[in-house]
Amino acid sequence: MDRRVGAALRRRVSDARPGRLLRRARAAGPAALAERSALPLLAAVTALLLAVLFYYPVATVFVDAVVEDGRVTFGPLVEVLTDEFYLVRVLGFTAYQALLSTLLSVLLGLPGAWVLARFEFRGRDTLRSVTMVPFVVPSVLVAAAFYATFGAKGTLNAALSAVGLPELDLLPSLGAILVAHAFYNAPLVTRVVAAAWESVDAGAVETARSLGASRRRAFRDVVVPQLLPALLTGATLTFVFTFATFAIPLALGGSQYATIEVFIYSARRQLEYGRAASLAALETGVSLSLMALYLRYERAQAAERRGVRTLARRPLWPDSWSRERAARRLAIAGYAVVVAFVFVAPLASMLYASVSVDGRFTLDAYRFLLERQATGATFQVKPFPAIVNSLVFGAAALAVALPLGVAMGVLTTRRFRGRWLVDALSMAPLAVSGIVVGLGLLRGLVFGFEAFGYRFTVTGAVAIVAAHAVGAYPFVVRTVAPPLDRLDRALVESARALGASRARTVLDVELPLVWPGVVAGAAFAFAISIGEFDATVILAEGGGTYTMPVAVERFIGRRLGPATAMGTVLLAVTAASFVVIERVGGEFRG
Amino acid sequence: MTDANGRSRRRFLRAVGAAGVAGLAGCSAEPTGDEATSEPPAGTDDDQTTTAATTTGEPTESMADTLVVATYPPFVNAPSTSPGAWLKREFESEFDATLVYQTPDSELNYYIERAVQGVDFEADVYVGLDTGQLIDVDGQRGEGQFTDPLFAEAGEIDGIDTIRDGLQFDPQGRAVPFDTGYISMVWNATMDDGEFVAPETFEELTEPEFEGDLIAQNPTTSTTGEAFMLHTIDAFGADGYLDYWERLQDNGVTVLGSWSDSYSAYLSEEAPMIVSYSTDQVFASAEGQDLDKHQIRFLNDQGYANPEGMARFADSDAPRLAEAFMEFMLRPEIQAGIAQRNVAFPAIADAPLPDDYAQYAKEPPESVTFTYDELEANLGTWTDEWARRFAGG
Repeated sequence: MDRRVGAALRRRVSDARPGRLLRRARAAGPAALAERSALPLLAAVTALLLAVLFYYPVATVFVDAVVEDGRVTFGPLVEVLTDEFYLVRVLGFTAYQALLSTLLSVLLGLPGAWVLARFEFRGRDTLRSVTMVPFVVPSVLVAAAFYATFGAKGTLNAALSAVGLPELDLLPSLGAILVAHAFYNAPLVTRVVAAAWESVDAGAVETARSLGASRRRAFRDVVVPQLLPALLTGATLTFVFTFATFAIPLALGGSQYATIEVFIYSARRQLEYGRAASLAALETGVSLSLMALYLRYERAQAAERRGVRTLARRPLWPDSWSRERAARRLAIAGYAVVVAFVFVAPLASMLYASVSVDGRFTLDAYRFLLERQATGATFQVKPFPAIVNSLVFGAAALAVALPLGVAMGVLTTRRFRGRWLVDALSMAPLAVSGIVVGLGLLRGLVFGFEAFGYRFTVTGAVAIVAAHAVGAYPFVVRTVAPPLDRLDRALVESARALGASRARTVLDVELPLVWPGVVAGAAFAFAISIGEFDATVILAEGGGTYTMPVAVERFIGRRLGPATAMGTVLLAVTAASFVVIERVGGEFRG
Repeated sequence: MTDANGRSRRRFLRAVGAAGVAGLAGCSAEPTGDEATSEPPAGTDDDQTTTAATTTGEPTESMADTLVVATYPPFVNAPSTSPGAWLKREFESEFDATLVYQTPDSELNYYIERAVQGVDFEADVYVGLDTGQLIDVDGQRGEGQFTDPLFAEAGEIDGIDTIRDGLQFDPQGRAVPFDTGYISMVWNATMDDGEFVAPETFEELTEPEFEGDLIAQNPTTSTTGEAFMLHTIDAFGADGYLDYWERLQDNGVTVLGSWSDSYSAYLSEEAPMIVSYSTDQVFASAEGQDLDKHQIRFLNDQGYANPEGMARFADSDAPRLAEAFMEFMLRPEIQAGIAQRNVAFPAIADAPLPDDYAQYAKEPPESVTFTYDELEANLGTWTDEWARRFAGG
C-alpha cells in the first residue's frame, strides 16, 4: 500500500515539476537557476557525449552490416543471420560459456559480499577497497599467470606432487576460461552486493524479528529482497562482459572455444567489415535485449524504504564460540582458501614472474623499466608517463562519469513510458564490442568528419578522458539507480516542500542515503578507466598519451619480465588509488 | 594552409603533449581541400618539436627534410631489442633529414582504412609489409574513396639486385624485402626428464608418442598460426590439410590465440613444442638461458619464410627521400644491423654479420612460401574452412 501511494505521489510530482522549477527559478535569480538546471544540464551533457563519442562512431561501423557499395541491402547482416555456423554454434557457445561464467562469478562473489558486509575485522575497509583490483589486470598477464599457477608445471601441481597427490592437467580448457572470467567478475559481484548489504535497513530486520520471525525467516523476507536487485545487477554485468569476451578464451581455451568476439576480431583483421559489423550487431542485440529485460525487472522490483541505520557487523573472531558460530567461521576459512587460489595465487605468480628468470631471483625486469625511463628514445613507451597518464585520465574520467552517472540515475528514477528502453540505450557502451568501438573511434573521431568545409578530428587526452567517462558512467548509473529508486519518496518530497531544489535534494538527502552505491560506482568508474585499452590505444595514436595497460602491451616480448613488472606497477598504483578513493569517499559522506 | 603553419601548430600541440598536460589537444578542425594536411599520429613528440624548431625555412626543392616512417610497434618498442632507435640515428647522421616514426596499433590497416575513408596521412614509407597485407591493400582498393594506388612501385633502386632469390613477394614490384624470418618449431630437450626429442616430419608429429606435446596458434588471429597452417597446406595440399589438422587435433594439439600467449604457456612448460621463430636461440643465448630449452626443428627440413618488405606510399610528399631511405635500408652494414636488432635474416646475401650469428639464428635447408597469386586466390577460403572446422564451440 505504501508503495502505491509513493508511486502516485511521485507521478504527480514529476508532472508538476517543470512549472514549479521555472517559477522558483524566476523568483530566485541566476544562482538558483544554475542549481535548478544542474540535473537537466548534466543529462544533456551525457546525451551529447554519448552521441559524439559513442553513438556516432559506432554507427559508422554498424552501417557496414546493412550497406553494400552505397546501397542499403542488409546483405552482410542477412548472410550472418542465415549462417548456421555463426547463429547456432558460435552464438550458442558464446552464450553457454557466458552463462556458466556468470554462475561461477556469483558463486565466488557472494560469500565475499557476506564477509565484507557482515563481519568486522582489521583491514576490512582496505580489503573492500582492493576487491576491484583483478578487474584492471590486462588479460595477457592473467593468461600467463594462470599458466604459472594452474599449468602443467604450475604452483598447484607443485603443491599437489609435494603432498603425494597426482598432478592435474587443467589447461587449456573451458574450466580455465570460466575461472579466469570469475577472476575478473566475481569481485564485481562482491562489490555490488556488499554495497547493497551495507544499505540494508537494520530497523526492518529488527521489526521482523520482534514480530516473531526466525533469523532465517527475517533474512529471507527482509534482507534477500534487498540484495536480489544488486545480485542481478552483478550477474547481468558479468554476463554482458563475458558474452563479449575475447582474449581469455583465445589464451586459456584454445581455438575450439572461440566466441563471437573472436570472429569479429578476425573478420576485422581480414578487413571484412560487413561480416565484422554484422556479427557485432548480433552480439550487441543479444546483450542489449538482456540488459533491457533486466532493467524492466529492476524497475518492477523497486520497493521503497527509508534505509537510515545499517546492520551492525559481527566480529570475525567472536568473543564466545557456539556451534553455529564455529561453523560460520569454518565456512569463511574454506572460502578464504578458494580466494587464495583463484585470486591471490595468479596475482602472486605475476609478481613472482617479474622478479625471476628460470627460478633465479633477479630485478632485471625492474631495471629494464628504470633504464627505459632514463634512456629510452622519445618515441618509445616509458613507465613513468604511463603511470601519470593513467592516474590523470582515471581522475578526470571519474570527475566526469560520477556526476553524469548520478544525474542519469536520478533522472531515470522518474517514471515515463519506455523508460527501460532509454535506460538500456544509455547502458549501450557496455554492450557493444570493444573492437567495434575501437574501429568506430578511428573512423568517426581520429579520421574525423567533414562539415562546413572543415575536417573535425578528435584525438588526444580530452578524447581519451571522454571515452573513458562514457565507458565508465553506466556503472555509476547501475550502482546508484536501484537504491535511489527504492528511496522513500516522502523524504525527497519533504525536502522539496521545504524549498530545496531538485539538485539540492539529491546532494543533501538522496546521495547520503545511497552513498555506498556511489562509492562503489566511483571505484568501478576508476577501474574501467585504468583498465581500458582498446579506445586508449587508438585515441592516443602513439602520442604521449599512453597509459599503463598500453605500456604492458608494448613490453610484452619473449620473456614475461618487463610486462609483468609493468603489470605489478599497474596493480600497486591501482590498489593504492582504490584505497584513496574509498577513504576520501568515506570521509566525504560524514 | 602552408606547411610552415602546419608545423608551428603541430609544434604547439606536441609541446603541450610533452609537458604531460591532459586536458588540451582534444579536437582540431582543419580546412579540407587540396592543400589540407592532417594531424600526424606519430609517437614522436620531442623529435618533432626539434624538427620543427630547427627547420623553419622552406624545405629544399630537391629533398624534403622529414621522413615519416610507418611501422609496427615492436619495430621501435620491443623490450628485448628493436632496430628503430639505431636506424633513426644512422639515417640522420648521414642525411640532412629527420626520421619520424608512426606506429599505429592496427599497423597497415590504419592506412588502408584512411585511404578508404578518403583521409590524408603523412607517412612516406611503410616498413614491415608481408604478402597478406599487400593482398589486403589490393583487395580494398575500389572501396569507398580508395581509388588510387596506396604504394608506388620501387623501381630500380640501388641494392635491389642484391636481394636474395626467392624473397621478392610483390609481383607489382612495390614492396622491397628488407629482412626475412622463418616459422619453425621450437622445442624443449629438458622435458620428459631430458628424454624428449622433437619429431622430424609432419607425419611423426601426429604419432601417439607426441600426444599433447605441441602448442600452435590460431590462423585467424595470429601471424605465426597462419604461417604454420600454410606450411601444412604446402605439405598436404589444399585438399589434405584439414584432414591433417584433424589428426593433429586428435593428437591433442593446443591452439591458442596469439604468439605471446602461447609462448608464455611454452615457457611455463605446458608442452615441449611450440610453433615459433627459428631465431629463438638468439634471444635465449643473449639472456643467458639454457639452450636445451630452445631447440629448433624444421619439420620436413623446411621452414615457412615470411619476408618483411618496405614500400613507399604513392602520395608521399618526400618521394626522393623515401627512395634514398629504401636504398639505405638495403646497404650491407645496415642490413646486418637490422637483422641483428630485429632478430631476423638479412634480405641480401653479403651483409657483414658476426661469425657466430648463424650459430643461434637458424635457417632451414629449404624454405617454403606461397606466392602472392596463390594466397590472393585462396587464403580467405583456407582460413575460413579451418575456422569452421576447428573453432567456434
